Amino acid sequence: MKTLTILAGLILVFLFVWERVDIVRLGYQIERSKAEKLLLERERDQLQVRFSSLTAPERIAKVATERLGMVQPQQGQVITVHVRLEGVPTAPASPNEVRVARNESPRRLSE
Amino acid sequence: MLILLLCGFGLILFRLVTLQVLQAAELTAKADRQHQKSVTFEGARGTITDRHGKVLAMNMEVPSVFGVPTALENPLRIARHLAPVLHIRSDEIEKKLRQDRSFVWVARKVLPEQGRQLEHMSLEGIGVVMEGRRFYPKGPLLSHVLGFAGIDGEGLEGLERHYDTYLHGEKRVTILQRDALGRTVFPKGLAEQTPAPGHALTLTIDEVVQYIAEKELEEAVNRAHAKAGTIIVLDPQSGAILAMAVSPRFDQNAMAALTPDRWRNRALTDTYEPGSTMKVVVAAAALEERLMTPGTMVFGENGRMLVANTTIHDHEKHGWMTFAQMIQKSSNIGAAKTGMILGEQRLYRYLQAFGFGLRTEIDLPGEVGGLLKPPKEWGRRSLASISMGQEIGVTPMQMVIAAATLANGGVMMKPYLVSEIRDQKGHLLKELLPQVKRRVVSAATARTMTTILEGVVTNGTGTKAAIPGYRVAGKTGTAQKIDPRTGTYSATLFVGSFVGYVPADAPRLAMIIVIDEPQGEAWGGTVAAPVFRRVGEQVLNYLGVSPNDQVKIAMAPQGQ
Repeated sequence: MKTLTILAGLILVFLFVWERVDIVRLGYQIERSKAEKLLLERERDQLQVRFSSLTAPERIAKVATERLGMVQPQQGQVITVHVRLEGVPTAPASPNEVRVARNESPRRLSE
Repeated sequence: MLILLLCGFGLILFRLVTLQVLQAAELTAKADRQHQKSVTFEGARGTITDRHGKVLAMNMEVPSVFGVPTALENPLRIARHLAPVLHIRSDEIEKKLRQDRSFVWVARKVLPEQGRQLEHMSLEGIGVVMEGRRFYPKGPLLSHVLGFAGIDGEGLEGLERHYDTYLHGEKRVTILQRDALGRTVFPKGLAEQTPAPGHALTLTIDEVVQYIAEKELEEAVNRAHAKAGTIIVLDPQSGAILAMAVSPRFDQNAMAALTPDRWRNRALTDTYEPGSTMKVVVAAAALEERLMTPGTMVFGENGRMLVANTTIHDHEKHGWMTFAQMIQKSSNIGAAKTGMILGEQRLYRYLQAFGFGLRTEIDLPGEVGGLLKPPKEWGRRSLASISMGQEIGVTPMQMVIAAATLANGGVMMKPYLVSEIRDQKGHLLKELLPQVKRRVVSAATARTMTTILEGVVTNGTGTKAAIPGYRVAGKTGTAQKIDPRTGTYSATLFVGSFVGYVPADAPRLAMIIVIDEPQGEAWGGTVAAPVFRRVGEQVLNYLGVSPNDQVKIAMAPQGQ
């Protein structure tokens, strides 16, 4: 009986100590995770800024015209086609639009 | 033996009492200083995006370099090591490090790569901390509207300033505990949250429209060797600004070398004498008051008319013409006569109704109300002068809103730039909806005026604004500037402008282009009208607005 009480007491003491130690250990772990989160967030922000600057219309226009040799479509080369889907009861406020760019001169249409 | 033992215990007890009770406060403070540190955290400044969520301004954590001069033995050597990495002259760094202080900034908000290099070098007495820096990833795009934020993250100009209360992050002081190695032990109270970042703004601006507007404006300003230029594109039905630009632009990422003159948003802060574009307002007033109809005959006095001992000229000699032709040919004499028929009080009332002399209340700082004197301060020539757009100072914003009012069937909308404010989790905090200011003229007057203004573009002074396939309504303006040296109208300094909207029957865009001091041919129809065509053409295409003479294509139902 006596040994049991002492054993129980000891277990309680160990439990208490283990709990304390574990709190500290978890504390460090939380801090590490936080630091990792911060680094990841930082990286995400950097990538977002980079994405944003790479998709700037000024840059895209420059790459398109200077490196890829593209030109602005001329008058009549872009036809806007409004597609109204049947069976869909006026779902979107603006009708679905498909834009067709033609490379040939507008004459092609009448042929 | 016992006494010795008691003495020993007594000594220990005494020491314990002195340490734990008498010096307790002082020692705790001392210990806290060693293993606690208080740090001010500031939440990141909110992001600004365009109407489609494209990022226009956002914060990013970047390294700042500091020095501890008191811990340095050889500032010269450290400075020589730092100089090539930071691209600062070594004697400048040395001067900073020689100060008798325990903390100095060596360089703030440098590039992430530079911070990494310094961490590798691990110089003694030099440290790196992360700070939020404002980035404008699109470079100079929209610079005059966005404005900029200072080094400590406070909004100084433009939207950054107007919406600073929403954009800036929360500031919070936190106490951290450090262990023997200087690592952070969890803060007192685990519930401690990082400070909340600022709110995000969604603008009405469309990045692509803005780009087109800036590109074409810059080209026009360069071609005319002009001093400056302004363009505003908006949706007349809502008052939402799609694009607003001032040329020359500036780069907010490299502000140091610029003077305030360069970042002033001239679209709101500078007034100009509008010249002939003012005739739109005078004509609308005369139509609304039923004093004129498009067919009313007006005599052009063969190009010369005496008013208050001064002569008013037309640049072409006109005889009898209809009221509509008078606007299309931009006759000064016709406009002066229309103003006289209206009378001082009525003209003044309409000018105010169209928003002149008052701020448009757009959500940007620094807007001025322009210059419109009340009739009792008018001179004998004023009525005629104001009718042709002289003796009145307007901002480009006021003028485009006046035109947009006609485009919107006579109802004036309040111009606005921010449509949504969201918190960092994306919850909507505030939605800003289009606001009607007032009805200025009847829908019938607006329609009649639109027909007359279409004539300006089809066979008047504004033919260069015509966009093939679309009906354009607009008015040119060419005004002489007042020469600051003589105080009279200059013969060489002009302001050329064009204001209009398209498509005329169901306007999607209202636009103003103002070119300040073009060299050579300075007519609004020559320097500004082509910008309207080029921007209008591309933007209508981008927005998917079909031309009026569109080819109808029959689509076969799917699956057949």
